[in-house]
Amino acid sequence: MSKERLTKLLNDLADATVEPVRPGLPEDIKQQIPQQLSLHKGGTDTIHIVINLRISKLAAAAVIITTIILCASLFGGRDWASDGIIHGIRDSLAWLGAGRADVLAVRSRYEDLARQGRHVVFYGDGIAPGDNSAILMHLKLPDGRYRVVFGDGSTTIVNAEKLIELHSRMLLKKTK
Amino acid sequence: MKYRFKNNGKKAKSTEQKAGFAHPISRLADVDKREKHLKEHQDSLAARLRAGDHAAAAEFVDMYHEQIYLFMRRLGHNRQVSEDLTQESFLQAWQHISQLRNGKALNSWFYRIASNVSKLYWRRHKGREMTSIEGIGADVPENGEAGCDTIGQYEQLGRLKKAVAYLPGKLRQAVVLHYMQQLTIAEAAEAAGVREGTFKSRLNRALETLRKQVI
Repeated sequence: MSKERLTKLLNDLADATVEPVRPGLPEDIKQQIPQQLSLHKGGTDTIHIVINLRISKLAAAAVIITTIILCASLFGGRDWASDGIIHGIRDSLAWLGAGRADVLAVRSRYEDLARQGRHVVFYGDGIAPGDNSAILMHLKLPDGRYRVVFGDGSTTIVNAEKLIELHSRMLLKKTK
Repeated sequence: MKYRFKNNGKKAKSTEQKAGFAHPISRLADVDKREKHLKEHQDSLAARLRAGDHAAAAEFVDMYHEQIYLFMRRLGHNRQVSEDLTQESFLQAWQHISQLRNGKALNSWFYRIASNVSKLYWRRHKGREMTSIEGIGADVPENGEAGCDTIGQYEQLGRLKKAVAYLPGKLRQAVVLHYMQQLTIAEAAEAAGVREGTFKSRLNRALETLRKQVI
């Protein structure tokens, strides 16, 4: 038998082996479609997390900062809002040497503190990275003073009056 | 809406013709246009799936459930198992959407998933017998249907059914993917997880075996 004849017979066999599918099958399958088709399995696929870290420097920065905070709070026995942690963030930011990463890391820190019900204010992503006069976040300390984090990652402790002054300076700079 | 994909892609077609595996179907201009349209539709569907579009997922099910069910049947699974494996293939597809990259054919990506699901099933159920391909579809094709215009042709088709059923797994998979599921050589090779050369070699061996048995 020639190859052509055989291939033709195989094509005919494809038609001869068609059978109807149970009518409810497509609906059964559709019911199993997840509500949100996600590109990655959340939290379970380590390889995908590693890929993410490789792709996004910002995501990597956020993960590193969160890990530092978690490790410090779990094993260090220190208060989350203590100066050491803030310094840790600042050092990490310096190590990363990233511009936008500063903002992202501080925002991540802000979200943690806000979840704990701390008196903390974040001034948004609109702050220019590296700006040492722009206030990125302020946190009220137990003694009534405020720890201020600037756009360049530097921090300082000020009283209420000084905080108002810093804000005024920042607003003045913005309007210029 | 039912979809059936014949060989799509001119590049693949010329490769097959060189290799001597081209389907004996006349390729008219309108057929080419339709295939091009289907390819575009597949690409757009793939993009929507990647974006997490729920409606696209439903469309994807409508488009492929029948093909994958028949694929499972032709690989030797019984009706119930074929239904289960079809559902499993879709579940795997939802979980591996991230592997559906730009420029990658939706067809070969999904057939590869289905092939792996089937392979895994056989591995887990080593003792289970394959269902003969003879049991699939109509018992006796009518004269004139499916190209059987003479008694001799019908008998040959019957012998071919038996011969395909007794092919070793990899060769049977090659025949099913290319001749029955109508995938191009490139798509079928990707679905089988082998290089095109290896796939052509398998097809050659399968055809040689079948030719000896179906005289």
